Amino acid sequence: MSARRSDRPSRTGIALHSLLESEQPLVAGPEGNIVMGSLQALIAWGRKYSLWPFGFGLSCCFVEMATSLTPRYDIARFGAEVLRISPREADVMLVAGTVFKKMVPTVIQLHRQMMAPRWVISMGSCANSGGMYDVYSVVQGVDSFLPVDVYVQGCPPAPTALMEGLLLLQAQVATERRPLSWVVGQENVTEAPKVPLRDLRRPQVQAIEELRPPDEV
Amino acid sequence: MAAAAETTAAAGVLAELRARFPGAELTAQATADGIPTAWLPPDLLLEALGYLKSEAERPFRFLYDLGAMDERWRAHRAGLPAADFSVFYHLVSYERNADLRLKVALLGETPAIASVTPLWPAAGWYEREVWDMFGIRVEDHPDLRRILTPPWWQGHPLRKEHPARGTEYGPFEVPEEQYEEWMDDLRFEPQKWGLPSAEDDPTLMYLNIGPQHGATHGPFRVIVGLRDEEIVHCLPDIGYHHRGAEKIAERQTWHRFIPHTDRIDYLSGVGNNLPYVLSVEELCGIDVPERAQVIRVMLAEFYRIASHLVFYGTFAQDVGALSPVFYTFEDRERIFDDIIEPICGARMHANWFRIGGVAQDLPKGWERGVLEYLDYLPARLDEYDRLIMDNRILKARTVGVGPVSVEDAVEWGVTGANLRAAGYPWDWRKQRPYSHYEWFDFDVPVGTTGDSYDRIAVRVEEMRQSLRIIRQCVENMPDGLHRSHHPLATPPSKEPHTMHDIETLITHFLGVTWGPVVPPGEACVYTEGSKGQYSYYCISDGENTSYRTRIRTPSFAHLQALPLLSRGFEIADLVTILGSIDFVMGDCDR
Repeated sequence: MSARRSDRPSRTGIALHSLLESEQPLVAGPEGNIVMGSLQALIAWGRKYSLWPFGFGLSCCFVEMATSLTPRYDIARFGAEVLRISPREADVMLVAGTVFKKMVPTVIQLHRQMMAPRWVISMGSCANSGGMYDVYSVVQGVDSFLPVDVYVQGCPPAPTALMEGLLLLQAQVATERRPLSWVVGQENVTEAPKVPLRDLRRPQVQAIEELRPPDEV
Repeated sequence: MAAAAETTAAAGVLAELRARFPGAELTAQATADGIPTAWLPPDLLLEALGYLKSEAERPFRFLYDLGAMDERWRAHRAGLPAADFSVFYHLVSYERNADLRLKVALLGETPAIASVTPLWPAAGWYEREVWDMFGIRVEDHPDLRRILTPPWWQGHPLRKEHPARGTEYGPFEVPEEQYEEWMDDLRFEPQKWGLPSAEDDPTLMYLNIGPQHGATHGPFRVIVGLRDEEIVHCLPDIGYHHRGAEKIAERQTWHRFIPHTDRIDYLSGVGNNLPYVLSVEELCGIDVPERAQVIRVMLAEFYRIASHLVFYGTFAQDVGALSPVFYTFEDRERIFDDIIEPICGARMHANWFRIGGVAQDLPKGWERGVLEYLDYLPARLDEYDRLIMDNRILKARTVGVGPVSVEDAVEWGVTGANLRAAGYPWDWRKQRPYSHYEWFDFDVPVGTTGDSYDRIAVRVEEMRQSLRIIRQCVENMPDGLHRSHHPLATPPSKEPHTMHDIETLITHFLGVTWGPVVPPGEACVYTEGSKGQYSYYCISDGENTSYRTRIRTPSFAHLQALPLLSRGFEIADLVTILGSIDFVMGDCDR
């Protein structure tokens, strides 16, 4: 029994292995049952898989965000299904939809009510840049008054796109270094540089030679 | 034949008005949609509307729409009274199955008009919108505040000189003092809303819900005055989702406004394209090929099902049943994955209808996904009947909660499934078939009491009827064109006259780039959408953009009726009622 068990890597072993692959400064023992590394790295790893989103919907994107919780997409696979209705219990604010000028004070207040560390995903063209709505009543991008960590493109983004955004945020959270508790003064958070996916994907996109014709299912 | 009958009816109601008010200056206006339209002198307004509402035989009891227009830049207005602004009143008579549009010309920069709230309390929000958007003062209005824009807004957005674009305002910044000022504006002060303060009446407690709240389905705010748990005051506050769609319509070409319609009722996708393209086609006089019509019906019905499925699941969640939403969203996902995406290429905002047809013909093999779905959903709906509709707790929370009578529903502009739930079997697909709905065999489900339970039951049955319609679409899909060859159909067809010489090439090029130049006129066509009655009142001044597009949406009227539905019930019932009226904030605030 014990011999068989040692043949297979344990679940912790697999998870730690993936951490190693992503160049985490966490080192797993040969059998996956010992972890060595900094406490900071371990906490960042824990944070990465328990991002609780704030159930905050503005418009159409919110429906696709809700769809990402349902069985076909199941965002619970990434530990982010605990939708909180109170901002005080949430870690990540998904700005899902158009940011209306009339809503701005509310959005700011809700963001302030979230406990640090907190992150913001801007979901959809409207929140990213105003999108189709270059119109008097709409703020041209939520980043004009909130710090945005990840932008998800689409109008509205498919649930899969939102989940990709979540994975990007997870990668960021895992590499971030923050103080372990509240501090007076500067927090000295180190963040990884943000690279546009467009640039990363360019070789892939350029390699595409055939597109599926639109007149067939 | 039908057209001739309509003209007689038009002459009929105007003649009736002339006979009742002899000597009054009544200017008839010809419109592309055939709706009798007349300009009234302002002093006759209340009297004429009062007569039409209650005295006339088979009266016009339904104030369908009330809006205004900036007439100052309008070029084609020969034969119409001089006006800087105009206010229109769109009345519907169910008894006659007829409409009437009355307009009042106003002069000056800041004109004023009498309020019609003594006749129709439901005009309240519409008149506030007229004030907010145009700066037309409505005299003797009980509560004339801005409705869509925030209280600190400068100017009136739908006036022609008001900036349209957000980028015209420069960078958006929120200094701390500004933020605090805006937060102060959001604070609820009962006196400002004409209510007793909590100090004056110690048994009363005010509770603010929204604009961000789990049960409001989007940015919607409602303030309730409670005595214990009973709702004594209910004050909906909207405008947190105002995207300026009507202003955008005045700058996009006719064709390029179609994607914006998708986002009005953002659960209904092409169900919004339909009333818009129907109105533009009415203006242009385009006959849409049969195949395009049936494709439209099929896709619109699929979106109706998708919208109702979202309603069904989220409503159950609102009253505490947490699992149904996972089932209904999976069914919706199948519509998107197997049908909408293969055909249209997008999920929620398909943007698939075009002026004169649809964007593309159906792809090869489209039937398979559709037929599979038709076999799949009925069993699921039966299961939901047991899971949701027969659920004792759900019944206890919904039966008898928030009922509305037919009289009240008509009075407050309630349409669609909410009207039918009250027991009035009115469905525009039957009463005034568009897109050849008369070819299809389907029933109109009705409720009896108009309570929350009936509102769900009617929608559930509507999904079954939509499946029936879709099956008939698949079995009888006509051959032929998917888009008309009419010169104003967009994007213009290359057949049969293009690519022969430079002239036809230039015409085609202009049609693609500038879009069609729609002949001057006015048209408004109703459709039976998933939330209620949708229409786009398109006014062309002979340009490639609209002069004014008025979007009349059901959610606006339904939310205005919220106090009527919820007063006297308990605070927990408010969530039930909100869920059951099936609104979308995009549809309400546009």
